Amino acid sequence: MATFNFKRREIECKIVYYGPGRCGKTTNLEYIFKTYKKQVSGEMVSIDTEGDRTLFFDFLPMGLGKIKGCDVKVQLYTVPGQVQYSSTRKLVLKEVDGVVFVADSLEVRREKNMLSLKDLHENLKSYGSSIFKIPLVMQYNKRDLEEEGIPLMPIAQMEHDLNRQLKAPSHAAAAINGQGVAKTITDCLKLTLLHLQKELKWAK
Amino acid sequence: MGAAAQIKTLLKEADLYQQQGLLNEAKERYKKATEILKANADIANGQELIKSIVKKVVALNQAINRINDATTKPEVSGQKQDLIKNLFSGVREGDGGQRDLEGAIALAKFGQFDRALSEFDRLLADNTVRVAAAKNIIRCCIELEDLDQAVKRFAAWVKDDGFKDSELKKIRFFLDNRLRNLDHDCTLPERTPVLEVEDIEVDHQASDKTSEGPAGFVDEVEAESVDFDSELELHEEEFLDINSVGIQLPAGGPKGQMFEFDVSFQTGNSINLIIPSTEKTLLKELKAGTKLPEMQFFSPIAILNGSGVVTSKTRIKSGPKEGDYSLDITILTT
Ligand SMILES: Nc1nc2c(ncn2[C@@H]2O[C@H](COP(=O)(O)OP(=O)(O)OP(=O)(O)O)[C@@H](O)[C@H]2O)c(=O)[nH]1
Ligand SMILES: [Mg+2]
Repeated sequence: MATFNFKRREIECKIVYYGPGRCGKTTNLEYIFKTYKKQVSGEMVSIDTEGDRTLFFDFLPMGLGKIKGCDVKVQLYTVPGQVQYSSTRKLVLKEVDGVVFVADSLEVRREKNMLSLKDLHENLKSYGSSIFKIPLVMQYNKRDLEEEGIPLMPIAQMEHDLNRQLKAPSHAAAAINGQGVAKTITDCLKLTLLHLQKELKWAK
Repeated sequence: MGAAAQIKTLLKEADLYQQQGLLNEAKERYKKATEILKANADIANGQELIKSIVKKVVALNQAINRINDATTKPEVSGQKQDLIKNLFSGVREGDGGQRDLEGAIALAKFGQFDRALSEFDRLLADNTVRVAAAKNIIRCCIELEDLDQAVKRFAAWVKDDGFKDSELKKIRFFLDNRLRNLDHDCTLPERTPVLEVEDIEVDHQASDKTSEGPAGFVDEVEAESVDFDSELELHEEEFLDINSVGIQLPAGGPKGQMFEFDVSFQTGNSINLIIPSTEKTLLKELKAGTKLPEMQFFSPIAILNGSGVVTSKTRIKSGPKEGDYSLDITILTT
């Protein structure tokens, strides 16, 4: 749930990167952290395991400056994708305002993408929200591996698997070299702020 | 594709999956490569290759086991605990006990029990939240599967004078219930009875507020902040705190007029209002089942528009609000 401070005209919202284990959520945040330094308003904190799997979450605070007369702050989080961290994943999703669903383009991860999307759906539902209503952007990550001859799913198939009903904006990406990262987050921020504008009427 | 080329592709994939931490996928690829190698004895260096793959698979298995065996909520550094406390305390504005309490609950939810316990201990001194803190201490002991410790802590509270009898009664009820659910047989100690003289100490306003509502509801409100690990109740807990609401009547009555009422208490998406008997028009329109398509919810951080449905309406039969109506409304998704 976003906080809106009427007095200071300041809005703070929360965006969560969701998706199966190892799909590239942390890589997205790392890229944002090192590329958009001006808008990053603090350190990126990762609570992870030795093997760099996210354990609790990654956290990256950002300040977007004034938008429509209001100071906009954003907190970016990633959830741990591995199945065994389901309770933590749910905790991190709490009070989310917008979601980026990072899907892994590797053919061998097809089913894991679908399971993770279902998990997102259920967790949102349990919080009284809905995957159909929440601002959501899809990212099909690791597209760079196509060139290396690693079997990837065609985008059309991923759209069919994951986005047939949701019809969320989607982007092909290679987070490892930053491709598609900015487009994904900008889309999600726009959707989220628009949604919050309808709910909280924060803009002038 | 010839067998050799197939193997090459499989090994390349396996290497990449391993690099990316997709260990099971890597293992599958190695297995497949081994099968092909075994079926094609004529491949040059076949035996050597199989040997080196077996080594890799053994290492993979070890890594997979390590991951599977690792605890999912290990203790993290104090700095990270501070961050968890800050980010997940729910209450963002305001200060004091409630915020600290929520922070400590967040720590417990992330499995940081030692730190959570020491925070709850500290909060026992804060009379606005001490009952909740005590219940959470019990909850932590139960999470740590140390029921004896839970009972011990309670016994100590019975002995000292930190809690009023009425508070202790709530804690006892809570602990008793948990123990019973866990089939843990034990008799909880009682305080030696004393004559209860009406409390004259000036109470914090929060407890004044809860005592306003009809008897019996107080526990429900408090229970909300206690069951930090109960998945079922999470849904309730996630609702924004609402101070007051505006109601616009759907039909009939003074159309377009917004009636505003304070929320006397809230459990999740269910709120209770006291409507004075003088609000005759409104009271006539509102009954159990009445849908309220136009509502405004005022919380400390935002005004939300939404809808609700009246779930019950009861006339208050005694006390200072006698004759007024107690109305329960379930908030529908805004
Ligand atoms: N080739 C390629 N590799 C990627 C890409 N994005 C991420 N990776 C790699 O995939 C692996 C996992 O990336 P992370 O960002 O840690 O994945 P995650 O989704 O945070 O994983 P969990 O925290 O376990 O849920 C790492 O080895 C990354 O380098 C990409 O676009 N292309
Ligand atoms: Mg991660």
